[in-house]
Amino acid sequence: MKTAWMAMLVTLSCSAAAGAGPKVVELPGKSPLVTIRLVFLTGAAYDPADKPGVAALTAAMLARGGTRSMSYKQIVDALFPMAAQVSEQTDKEMTVFSGTSHIDNLEAYYKIFREMLLDPGWRKEDFERLRDDAVNYLRVTLRGNNDEELGKEALYNQIYAGHPYGHENHGTASALGKTTIADLQAFYRAQFTQGNLIIGLAGGYPEGFPDRVKADFAKLPAGPPAALRLPEPQPARGIRITMIEKDTRSVAYSIGFPIDVKRGDPDYPALLAAQCYFGQHRVSGGRLFERMRQARGLNYGDYAYIEYFPRGMMRFEPDPNLARRRQIFQIWIRPVEPPTAQFALRLALFEFDKLVKDGLSEEAFERTRTYLTKYVNLLTKTADAKLGYAIDSQYYGIGDYNGYLKSSLAKLTREDVNRAIRKHLVTDGMDIVVVAKNCAALKSKLLSGEPSPMTYNSPKPPEVLNEDKIVERWTIDLKPEAVRIAPVETVFE
Amino acid sequence: MRTLMALLVWCAATALAAGAPRQAFPYAYDQHDFPNGLRLISIPTDYPNVVSLFVVMQTGSRNEVEPGRSGFAHLFEHMMFRGTPAFPPEKYENALQQAGAASNAYTTDDYTAYHTTFSKEDLETVLRMEADRFQNLSYTPEVFKTETLAVLGEYNKNSANPLEKLYEALRDTAFDRHTYKHSTMGFLKDVQDMPNRYDYSRLFFERYYRPEYATVIVAGDIAPAAVRALVEKYWSGWKRGDYRPEIPAEPAQQGARKVDVAWPSPTLTWLAVAFHGPAYSDQQTDQAALDLISFLGFSESSELYRKLVIQEQKVDMLHASCPNHVDPYLFTAMARLKKTADMDTVREDVLATLAGFRTNPVAAERLDQVKRRLRYGFALGMNNSEAIAGTVAQFVALRRTPETINRLFEMYDRITPAEIQRVARKYFVEENRTIATLSGGKAQ
Repeated sequence: MKTAWMAMLVTLSCSAAAGAGPKVVELPGKSPLVTIRLVFLTGAAYDPADKPGVAALTAAMLARGGTRSMSYKQIVDALFPMAAQVSEQTDKEMTVFSGTSHIDNLEAYYKIFREMLLDPGWRKEDFERLRDDAVNYLRVTLRGNNDEELGKEALYNQIYAGHPYGHENHGTASALGKTTIADLQAFYRAQFTQGNLIIGLAGGYPEGFPDRVKADFAKLPAGPPAALRLPEPQPARGIRITMIEKDTRSVAYSIGFPIDVKRGDPDYPALLAAQCYFGQHRVSGGRLFERMRQARGLNYGDYAYIEYFPRGMMRFEPDPNLARRRQIFQIWIRPVEPPTAQFALRLALFEFDKLVKDGLSEEAFERTRTYLTKYVNLLTKTADAKLGYAIDSQYYGIGDYNGYLKSSLAKLTREDVNRAIRKHLVTDGMDIVVVAKNCAALKSKLLSGEPSPMTYNSPKPPEVLNEDKIVERWTIDLKPEAVRIAPVETVFE
Repeated sequence: MRTLMALLVWCAATALAAGAPRQAFPYAYDQHDFPNGLRLISIPTDYPNVVSLFVVMQTGSRNEVEPGRSGFAHLFEHMMFRGTPAFPPEKYENALQQAGAASNAYTTDDYTAYHTTFSKEDLETVLRMEADRFQNLSYTPEVFKTETLAVLGEYNKNSANPLEKLYEALRDTAFDRHTYKHSTMGFLKDVQDMPNRYDYSRLFFERYYRPEYATVIVAGDIAPAAVRALVEKYWSGWKRGDYRPEIPAEPAQQGARKVDVAWPSPTLTWLAVAFHGPAYSDQQTDQAALDLISFLGFSESSELYRKLVIQEQKVDMLHASCPNHVDPYLFTAMARLKKTADMDTVREDVLATLAGFRTNPVAAERLDQVKRRLRYGFALGMNNSEAIAGTVAQFVALRRTPETINRLFEMYDRITPAEIQRVARKYFVEENRTIATLSGGKAQ
């Protein structure tokens, strides 16, 4: 029963090259499921300086609010029997509206989708509901319910303080309180333009459908807004720690620093290989995972990243369309038991130092390259993901991501990887965010530099015990003024 | 040996009069039983190059019958990654990396699933390695103790979420005897005691990691005959066991129950209203009717959602479910309140909605909308080989065949407003009810 419907061809219909309207990325196929992804090249980095959160709230108003002719309730009722919805995702430089419909319902679904984006209702009751949602996301979902995502987002805020990337995408609770519908309308008019738009379509849509979508969205104002200047973030000098004080059982760490490498840059494949070797997301073969969890049972997992990857505790593969011009190298240490917190941080930094000094062995390089060359297929296993990656590739100016990565990896050498590690990964300047209870005691321990010997519940091999003797005294060069304790109530406030 | 070749017709693009895909599970599959009790389900899909393997073990926290042993099915999921003589962990990891595979596992109340997705050329390697670890798992007491700490780490990371605590309290209150009383993670005291239970872990493996508890699902760019030959080659030597657990039956609840959970830090208040429900069935309509009620009464298109979420804006999350279980489980309606002060009115609204199903027949047109929603939602979810195998895994854990999916959806189609009313009257009674709430410390 092999059919050709998944042998999809990527068609990049770049009519914008001729200066007319949005770009269109097409992945035609014969699947009965049709996916629409509309990506606007705008987001939280474009928020007004005094109103962080406007971009995300504008997107929420479009995707989870009414239109001029339909209330939100009417929209929900219309979409319900189709099991369809319009989802939104706002990041720093991309805002995405997406949805999948069965071909049976495509006409009815697209009619609503189009109206939601082109003719929003801006109702007060929708605004109040969605603003509450945004505030509760910050105060409850992030601050209250998920220590790990809290630490990760706080890390980005710390690294990008004073930068257009320097606030969580939903903004701050206090700024949301001052935001008005007029702010959202102004953002919508300025940012949701044809020149800012990439239209993505995948699946068994009818002939002529891409032209219709393109013509419909040509009703948006023409032309992009002025490009945003993104300054270089100021990297930490030495180690800089924010400790978030909250009533929690364990201690979560996020560690990172800015890197000047993004998809399409010459060192991207090399740094991706380094990250994969050191801490591939949710894979038990990474070096950090092996040394921290497998050998010592310190926690549930330990990973590393060179691209923004939110919601990692729920997802095995990253969501597409989170493209950014600026990225960080990040280490994620999942929660550890408080008595082992000092040792765990030392071990993570010890392993990172080793990565920078020693790089990858030939065997590790070959293993990592083989893995990545095949694993890339899994990133695009759904039509929706394939479409998202194709749009990201447009943004980064590379070809098909799978082809780009496979051909780059084929040419990659171990020396390329180790050179990229030495060039881009630093051990003398990094930010750390800790989420813990009784931060003052942990701060004292870290500043004291006293040894933090481990005790285990079972005998350990000599190589682990010998390594522990080094790790327990590993120097974390920390100045008292570089450690700040923030009550959780103040974060994202 | 019994073979069933079910050839179904792809007709998802064809619409019923009601306007929904006809066959809920539209894929042809090859279902085959080996003499040792192992079942193989091979599902060719149209997604090229990639293959997804799920090994479903019909053992979960439901099987944790001894006191003090809660969480062991989940612990065992962890231990399965600790290697065999032929494939110690490093070699196993190395082989997975060579295959570019994504591999993981999860544990539920009723089953444990091990899943690996990889390139099709590595099918034999992966089937061989997986067969090896299910038959020859080997770990030392030292390794066991270390892994128990990773489980504690998982408990710790989950413990930041108040919903975990709410569910823990709800189950503990609603159940007296059945093992659904505890969560899959287990009670904290049992998790902390795990390092001392090496011998029990071996016993658990001996009891449950047997072919009669296992179903192998292979979906993707495959030829079923070749898959069957490989499974025969590597899995047929697995020895059948003879252990059958005695899962204590839950006696009928004799009166309304209530539990309030205090959360130490600020959070929004949760309300859970639960009733004991039926076990999964593709023959008896009770569970299917409760599935429909959860959408009728508590989905985003429900009247209650309009009132509480959109209009009054007292609640920001509302849903209900009656998740499929081997034994009778719970129907639960949940709401997250923006202000604790609204608790009484929201609870009364939820109870009134449930009572409404007892007294008023639902409109046939509305019922039809929900049925269509379920069919389209199911079709939209099967958008890659891993998702197809993963969906089948959930049902295989209950009935060991994808055919149960079609039977369930056919049953949905047959349910009438009168049937909804009958089921509501049977289950939504006060003496069968447990209400759990959770509220945070300090001001909201």
